[in-house]
Amino acid sequence: MGIPIPNSKLGLWLFLGTEIMFFTAFIGSYIVLRIGSRGWPTDPHDTHINVFLGGLNTFVLIVSSYFVVVAHEAMAQKQFDKARKYLIYTLGLACLFLCIKGAEYNGKFANDILPGRIPETPGQAISKVDRQLEEVVRERFAVYTDAKLVEVPEANDLSTVNAQLDIFSKSDKGEPAQRENAAADVVLFGKWQNLHQHIVANVSLVEVPEATGPQYLAARAALAEGDSLPPLAYSEVETFLAGLKADKTYAASVSGIFDMHPVLYGNLFASIYFLMTGFHAIHVLVGMGLFIWALMQGSKMDDRWTNWVENSGLYWHFVDLVWIFLFPLLYII
Amino acid sequence: MAHDDHSAHHVNYLAVFAALCIFTGLSVLFDVLSFENRMITIVLVLAIAVAKAMSVMMFFMHLKFEGNWKFVLLAPTTILAIGLPIALLPDIGVKYYTTLAPQDGVWGAEMEELDAAHHGGGEHSKSEDAHAAPADDHKAPEADAHKA
Repeated sequence: MGIPIPNSKLGLWLFLGTEIMFFTAFIGSYIVLRIGSRGWPTDPHDTHINVFLGGLNTFVLIVSSYFVVVAHEAMAQKQFDKARKYLIYTLGLACLFLCIKGAEYNGKFANDILPGRIPETPGQAISKVDRQLEEVVRERFAVYTDAKLVEVPEANDLSTVNAQLDIFSKSDKGEPAQRENAAADVVLFGKWQNLHQHIVANVSLVEVPEATGPQYLAARAALAEGDSLPPLAYSEVETFLAGLKADKTYAASVSGIFDMHPVLYGNLFASIYFLMTGFHAIHVLVGMGLFIWALMQGSKMDDRWTNWVENSGLYWHFVDLVWIFLFPLLYII
Repeated sequence: MAHDDHSAHHVNYLAVFAALCIFTGLSVLFDVLSFENRMITIVLVLAIAVAKAMSVMMFFMHLKFEGNWKFVLLAPTTILAIGLPIALLPDIGVKYYTTLAPQDGVWGAEMEELDAAHHGGGEHSKSEDAHAAPADDHKAPEADAHKA
């Protein structure tokens, strides 16, 4: 006797049972973390969540679920050509889903909405500009050290490279264009160093233009007892970055630096978003593999493939089911 | 046996599909409407998600027409799936101790400065405008003091 279904279907349902636990572990953790978190970024301006793309993807998966059901019906009625046609439609929709997902991911990458990379406070946003600018300087300097235009014992030591570069720019070595670029990069290093020192000392960029040197010492000496220098403001760094990006000499080098945009609890959001949608996308890929395998049989896809189509269809419905919950949980709530 | 008379249960898949599309449209609509009370939106969209999930499971996955094995198979996983959040909730979800995230401490003061810098930019939501208003009241007398 036993259960009146094919073994393959029983196996697939058991697998779906484990899949239910797999995804509810994520969804449950998300709900618990969200309840426990003191806040959550919901503004699309912060999260770059696009509810219409999410809704469109829900629609795409529902249509594909319907097509897979039609394909299975056709298999049961031995209309194999019809089944093949609808499986191809399903596969096409799965591709479309991943394309839309890719467009959404691209919007996140373009704004650096990635776990661990989102500044959560204005202070963190300021440090991030500092770190990115250092990276730009490092890349610019590597051009000269790689080409052996300047000889330094340690290419990572930016101050030494800067000093050598300064000498190089004033010498008659290399091409005139190279010397000109080197001079510009020496200035860029100076700008970054100045910003960095202002951040370390937490001193206003505007009211105290130099964070070291005689001007700074004079400003400190002029302080009355108990007074302190004006602190570095978020807007000052914002203006500094905008000025750097507007400067033709550096626009190309610094265009990759992300605009300052602190998002409180953004990293928790990004971790959860990418974990859940990422695992869902992997499931979509696996489903596509199942359909491709059946379609690769060509005209040999006959009666014996009915169970395969039914089981991959069940799996596909489950993928749809997960998205049905992810859409409201991630995009709307 | 049950498997053999599968095709006997003819389901109007197109009707199920139409229902699913309408449900999706409704959940987007509820988001766009953005009710005053956020809880209403949350409850509505989750209820719709459950309704959609039930339609898919019942008709597309044929669970409506399967034998009782479906309960034996799905009940344990469902119980475990529900059990996990309930088990985690007391520790993380419900804070019976103070959690101090480092970003909370500095956020308040730094954020006020940010609001002041961006005031009138209009890129932030209402709640922040509400914060910005009293901040202006504080600023005004200070500015006067400087002039004097």
